[in-house]
Amino acid sequence: MTAIALLELKKKTKDKGLWFWTFLLPVIFIVGFITLFGESMGAEPEQLVVQIVPGYTVMFSFYIMISIVVAFIKDRDSGMAARLASTPIRRLDYFAGKWLPFVAVVLLQIVVLFTFGVVVYDLPLGDTLSLLALSIGLAFVATGCGMAMAVLAKTENMGIALTQVIALGGAMLGGLWMPVEFMPDVMQNIARFLPHYWALEGYKTVILDNGTLMDVWQSLAVLVGFGIACITLALLAYPRYLREAKS
Amino acid sequence: MIHIQNVKKSYGTHCALQDVELTIAKGTCFGLVGPNGAGKSTLMKILVGILEEYEGEVLLENATFHHNRLAIKRRIGYVPQDICLEETLTARDNLLLFGRLYGLPKAQVSKRIKEVLRQIGLEEREKSVVSTFSGGMKRRLNIGCALLHDPDIIILDEPTVGVDPQSRRAIFELIHSLKKEGKTLIYSSHYMEEVEQLCDAIGFIDQGKVVEHGPMQEVLARHHHSSIYVEGKQVTAEVLQGFPLLKEQGAGFSIVSDEPLETLEQLARSFASQAVLPERLELSQARLEDIFIRLTGTSLRDTGMEGAS
Repeated sequence: MTAIALLELKKKTKDKGLWFWTFLLPVIFIVGFITLFGESMGAEPEQLVVQIVPGYTVMFSFYIMISIVVAFIKDRDSGMAARLASTPIRRLDYFAGKWLPFVAVVLLQIVVLFTFGVVVYDLPLGDTLSLLALSIGLAFVATGCGMAMAVLAKTENMGIALTQVIALGGAMLGGLWMPVEFMPDVMQNIARFLPHYWALEGYKTVILDNGTLMDVWQSLAVLVGFGIACITLALLAYPRYLREAKS
Repeated sequence: MIHIQNVKKSYGTHCALQDVELTIAKGTCFGLVGPNGAGKSTLMKILVGILEEYEGEVLLENATFHHNRLAIKRRIGYVPQDICLEETLTARDNLLLFGRLYGLPKAQVSKRIKEVLRQIGLEEREKSVVSTFSGGMKRRLNIGCALLHDPDIIILDEPTVGVDPQSRRAIFELIHSLKKEGKTLIYSSHYMEEVEQLCDAIGFIDQGKVVEHGPMQEVLARHHHSSIYVEGKQVTAEVLQGFPLLKEQGAGFSIVSDEPLETLEQLARSFASQAVLPERLELSQARLEDIFIRLTGTSLRDTGMEGAS
């Protein structure tokens, strides 16, 4: 597992596309929307920062799914997945070795975006332990969704399209673009079925209300539950992925 | 020694392998040949442990593949037909990955990387990124990745596809040196002259069945039919009446013979007695490609659905 994980980490550091999607684009969006809403709508800067920084962090964390889909489909179609299956590495080690570096990338992304919020916009942080727990939960669910998509998608395009639906659809319905309170009742009910909503609710509870682990346990439980469901689905579909791997 | 016993594999209703029985002796280079979709890749996937679900048994010195998979995988080096390298990483990083996957100790990995890079003629390119390599260099590195853990058995699936003559020659030299080291090689290729030149034994697979196998010289001898081609204005079927196994071929005739020199003498006497002067007289020996065509036919095999690949 370590060999695969180290390889993946090395590849990630050289992947300029991943750096753009993960760090640069979210920063551009955060700055752009805070400036736009601050100037045109006259919203309170603090309220904006508390909504937009965690909101866009949650939304862009789901974009890791694109990288996961691309990595798995490339391995499947280039023969690398089959080549690795011919080595003594256990199949689950390959799965974990590919997955864990993406979890690390999402955690780093969350740290970078929150640090950006603190340094540039004085974003208050609240209880660090709760933030850390929520961030691990968010990384787990975002990468878990990506793993499921990666082993289920037949083609890269199909995987990327579904990722966009989950990332953008989830962001819109989950209240990442605007507080759910401003949305119609039906949409508010739909939001409660989405991990995006629970991640943002958890962050807001910690940041705005100085919430602790006891206050965000529900958000954490939903994130971990979604994550487990996605990883289970990915593990169930994984043997088929290996069967279809080119060799 | 590798024993393949009664191996069967189906994909849905398509039977990719049917009762395959083969023995590959230790230290030999075994050529595995057959048309597209014949079942070669499926058999190779079984041998390298990618395909785990099949009927029958494969044994390596009495240890079954089913029950000793990981231990056997450590003894096998697989060179896939596709180039499976990480293009954004260096040659060293690619080899390092396989060293780690096979659990080589750190100190040994560095030593082996140097040795393998020397073996494949890429020692100067250790720190170069693979995307800057030519096709032939990538092919050689692809082979190097399979050699890093110093396996006893090396399975090469069309290792010379798309390489220039220099790289092909380098690959041949590498294979000869591996043979000298006593490694067991399983070599699949569509280039029959390569197989004939490199392999000591051969197995032909067609439609999932082994249709011929054995030591190379025995197989060639079994199908050894020299033929004499004769052509000329005066050379007619009547002139060649006394010769059995006579066939019209192009503008002349071919006479199949197990004793070509004797037949040539008879022909000379016959032409002299009939005052016939041939314009062209050629002696040709059956090559592996002729045997391949004879065993597997000439129809195109584009419809095979071998494997899931």
